[in-house]
Amino acid sequence: MSVIPASSRIGALWQQRMQSMREYSVVRDGNAFEAGFSHSVIFSSEYDRARMYLDTLLDRHEGLAFETIFRGKEIVNEGGTCFALESRQGYSFPSLDSDQLKARLLGDLTLVHGIGPAIRKRLNARGYHSIPDLLEHPCFRQQAKTVLSSICGGDSSAIMDLAGSRHSRSHPSVLGAATLHEPEDFVFLDIETLGLFSRPIILFGIGVVECGHLIVHQYLLRDIAEEQAALIATMDLVSGDRSALVTFNGKSFDFPYLMDRLAYYGLGYPATIPHFDVLHFSRRRWKGQFPSLRLAVLEREVLNVSREDDVPGQMVPEFYESYLRSGNPGPLVPIVEHNRQDVVSLALLFSFLLEEAYGGC
Amino acid sequence: MAVADLLRLLDTNPVFRARCVHRQVYESESPRYGCLDAPLSPSLASYLDQCGIRLYSHQCETINHARAGKNVILTTATASGKTLAFNLPVFCHLEQDPDARALYLYPTKALANDQLLSLEQMAQYTGITAKSAIYDGDTPQSKRAAIREHSRVIISNPHEVHYVLSWHAKWQPFLSNLDYIVIDEAHRYRGVFGSHIAFVIRRLLRLCRHYGASPQFILSTATLANPVEFAHALTGQDFVLVDTDGAPHGRRNFVLFNPFYDGISERSVHQETKDLLVSCVKENLQTLCFTGSRKMAELVTVWSRDDARRISQKLADAISVYRAGYLPEERREIEQQLKEGRLRGVVSTNALELGIDVGSLDAVIISGYPGTMMSTRQQAGRAGRKGGESLAFLIAQADPLDQYFMHHPDQFFSRPHELAIIDTTNAYIVSGHLLCTAAELPLREDRDSAFFGENLSCLLPDLGAAGLLRKTIRGWVYVGRGRAADAVRLDGIPGESFRVMCHGRLLETMDRGQAYREAHKGAIMLHQGETYVVSEMDLDTHTIRVTETDVDYYTQPQKEIDISIIGTLETRTVNNTPCFFGEVEVTEQYTGYKIKRGDTIIGLEPLTLPPLTFRTKAFWFIPQESVEQTITESGGDPGGGLHGVEHAVIALMPLYVMCDRWDIGGLSSPSFGEKGEPVVFVYDGYEGGIGLAEKAFGLLPELFTAAHELVRDCRCESGCPSCIFSPKCGNDNQPLDKDAAVLILRELSHGPGEADNAPIAAGKSEVQAA
Repeated sequence: MSVIPASSRIGALWQQRMQSMREYSVVRDGNAFEAGFSHSVIFSSEYDRARMYLDTLLDRHEGLAFETIFRGKEIVNEGGTCFALESRQGYSFPSLDSDQLKARLLGDLTLVHGIGPAIRKRLNARGYHSIPDLLEHPCFRQQAKTVLSSICGGDSSAIMDLAGSRHSRSHPSVLGAATLHEPEDFVFLDIETLGLFSRPIILFGIGVVECGHLIVHQYLLRDIAEEQAALIATMDLVSGDRSALVTFNGKSFDFPYLMDRLAYYGLGYPATIPHFDVLHFSRRRWKGQFPSLRLAVLEREVLNVSREDDVPGQMVPEFYESYLRSGNPGPLVPIVEHNRQDVVSLALLFSFLLEEAYGGC
Repeated sequence: MAVADLLRLLDTNPVFRARCVHRQVYESESPRYGCLDAPLSPSLASYLDQCGIRLYSHQCETINHARAGKNVILTTATASGKTLAFNLPVFCHLEQDPDARALYLYPTKALANDQLLSLEQMAQYTGITAKSAIYDGDTPQSKRAAIREHSRVIISNPHEVHYVLSWHAKWQPFLSNLDYIVIDEAHRYRGVFGSHIAFVIRRLLRLCRHYGASPQFILSTATLANPVEFAHALTGQDFVLVDTDGAPHGRRNFVLFNPFYDGISERSVHQETKDLLVSCVKENLQTLCFTGSRKMAELVTVWSRDDARRISQKLADAISVYRAGYLPEERREIEQQLKEGRLRGVVSTNALELGIDVGSLDAVIISGYPGTMMSTRQQAGRAGRKGGESLAFLIAQADPLDQYFMHHPDQFFSRPHELAIIDTTNAYIVSGHLLCTAAELPLREDRDSAFFGENLSCLLPDLGAAGLLRKTIRGWVYVGRGRAADAVRLDGIPGESFRVMCHGRLLETMDRGQAYREAHKGAIMLHQGETYVVSEMDLDTHTIRVTETDVDYYTQPQKEIDISIIGTLETRTVNNTPCFFGEVEVTEQYTGYKIKRGDTIIGLEPLTLPPLTFRTKAFWFIPQESVEQTITESGGDPGGGLHGVEHAVIALMPLYVMCDRWDIGGLSSPSFGEKGEPVVFVYDGYEGGIGLAEKAFGLLPELFTAAHELVRDCRCESGCPSCIFSPKCGNDNQPLDKDAAVLILRELSHGPGEADNAPIAAGKSEVQAA
């Protein structure tokens, strides 16, 4: 009985409405005041440069096939197909001293519930200097026993929970839980998405360590239909027995986003694994020293990495949409490189922080 | 027996006696109690015992149906114990199934708070764990996770649900055990807003299905003509109706009070309202008075206090105004004073009919028909203490509907006519929710057409082509730039939006139609009771700039309307007059605006705005040629007659199809199209249509008859605001010919040659069937 207008006025209407809903704002160069207020901003010169770059990319790759630009292979799993890229580079994971962590934990009376700085002082004065000492204490005996078994259990999650809940999630003891892992356990994750929430993940970057090398696996969606396969491939790499996830701001963004996309396709959740969010440790370590604590800033200031021909993170959706619309893979080139570099910088920053805090002799 | 005293005054005082055109008396009813099919659990039974409650018949019916797994819609009167009727089955279930969860939806914050209190009280008495909590825009972030995880009864509102559905993964524990959805005041969700909410509910049900739940509904509404149909449209489910009220009430009087009884009125409706209010207060009746606007509420209060002061200062102090802008404490203070009897008269706007918690009073004065019978009944329902006699007044204004009721009290007191409309086929509304849906779970035509209807397969490719959805083997996936839920506004039809700015501050946003109508350059615009003047309208940036002002004039735009018929969907013949329903394209051209003080035009300014074009649904009819001849022969103006018919039909449409007369538009022409036929169009004022014209098309015989009675029985000479003048006419109510309008309407309602009091033709049965 109802009639849908034959012209595609409805599609056009929504398209116009959505175009006006950018999830970042472009501000005049140097307008730090405005930049400080909006949740996500981009300076106008950077924006203009990126738009020009997008045009250049489209020109340069006009008529080129996807496979000629990206040297990778198609993978198949129960979710369908997706495109996998792999790159490797030398990566020396520092040798870490887990005894140092253990000593730190055992000497930290405040790990026991009910002991704050004041009580610790009193306990110290009465000769209690370590958790094992407290096993003799009439009140804290039972609690100390639980804490001690967590520390000696060698389970990184338990230690992270313990130190995270008694101190803060950026506390050195939380970072120190990493010393209980082998380098091969770490999975460095960074995703590129079509928006801030509830839209597809278009590129998954996962770094793993293999005999002195960092291997970066990237699962790229040639079409949105490939998201489910890419999700499954990613979860396969993340859900090893001893895996530990390492991300930059992943506790707030990447990980919940990943969980949401799994739920979107009705896929089950993986078992929870230890998760090191490098942003938290970086904030504690470098707060106030640099103009911001974005990964791009940290890699420049700490790791001396400089990027060329980068796409600003906020504009990844526009670049990918341009690929979807035109079929021209050019706009994907800087996205793939941006993501790969993010994973590499993440891995380097993590080992930098670890070496500084727990480096062995 | 204060009510009796006042009734005697109404009978003896000549001024009042002339104005009281009808008094309807409802004798007192004693309570009717009911039986439960299965006894309540000991904890719930002892709760009722402790509170001294014996269940009324409608409460038992509701509980029996709900416990039998049926969806129930409850339409009994205000203060008949509806809350208990749906809380009992919910608690019953919570007690039996320790995992079960329930969701309550309330349209306002105040009602949600009240409900939270009654749920908490019930949980405390019965010992049944509910952990009831409100989850809305004001719920602190820190509490949200715990509410999602642990609360078994969550109170929220449809807006909040709209936003949280995309976070459904976090809601899995709740959604997968959601067994009851309670929607109180469901009649609020009608028209455009209701059509959006219908899809929010469908999206919620789709996610429940995904997580393995299939919740049962309990709805409560005010009196509607079509409760079951309405509940079905809102939720997509089948319902059983509980509408027989078992609650007791005292003797009730409803008085229709017409200041225009002699066709003219020497004093304003507000003065008359004041007189009645003061009379009630003097007789020691606690009285609630509803007015059409905030300003009127203030004025009536000030005048009443002045009058009362002549008797005593104490009496003057016993009258107060109840404003929307009051802080919660201030409101509670007034409510408390009323309950303690220190206040005797409270004046409020219609807008507050829901938020006010004053219990029941002796008298209610409704100054001006509030627009729907439903609101009128709800407001009047405030009068009536248990056992005591009560009194309600409707004071008529010079509006067609008000005057129609004054002349046809039988229509006013008969069974409800009003249909609440929900349109689940408006492509503009459906499409927005398809985007939201595809962002929640991949959208599959095979599984999801049950929720979204046949539109689905037409709309999806269109949204795909616009780059907003992408088809995958898993279904359609949302890939748009912004969050879909942010792009969909639940109170409008999507379109271009204009921002209204005052000194750089955003006041509101409006669509192009509303902007042209209310916020063109020079317009006097109202926003939350404040007056603004539009200094600039920038069509390129969609920005309207306004400044505060305090003027005693208002502006009224003038427009020319053009209609072209896109396609006819249905035809019928009503009393030999061919009538059509179909899709039309409407072009509105705003040509200027009038500056008016009261009814006097003090200026006329031109406007240059591009034409506004939209497609919508309309009904139209082509009166017989013979009538035109009769009119012309008697020296009348057929064009003026058709114009009058258009206004009368539009004025009475809200009587049958619940809407505001501003939701519909009309056009009449003595020679339309190539054939040059006389025609009257009535269309939905929304892109895509919203089901108003469609429903009215089914009720045309009744509508024509009522319109005929309205114009025929009006005492005016040649048309007035009570019959064929329209306050929104874009042509200055020119030309109008009342006699010609009556001739055409008689033809439409009786057919040729039939007597004036001929029985109403086919179509009546349709109302009853609905």
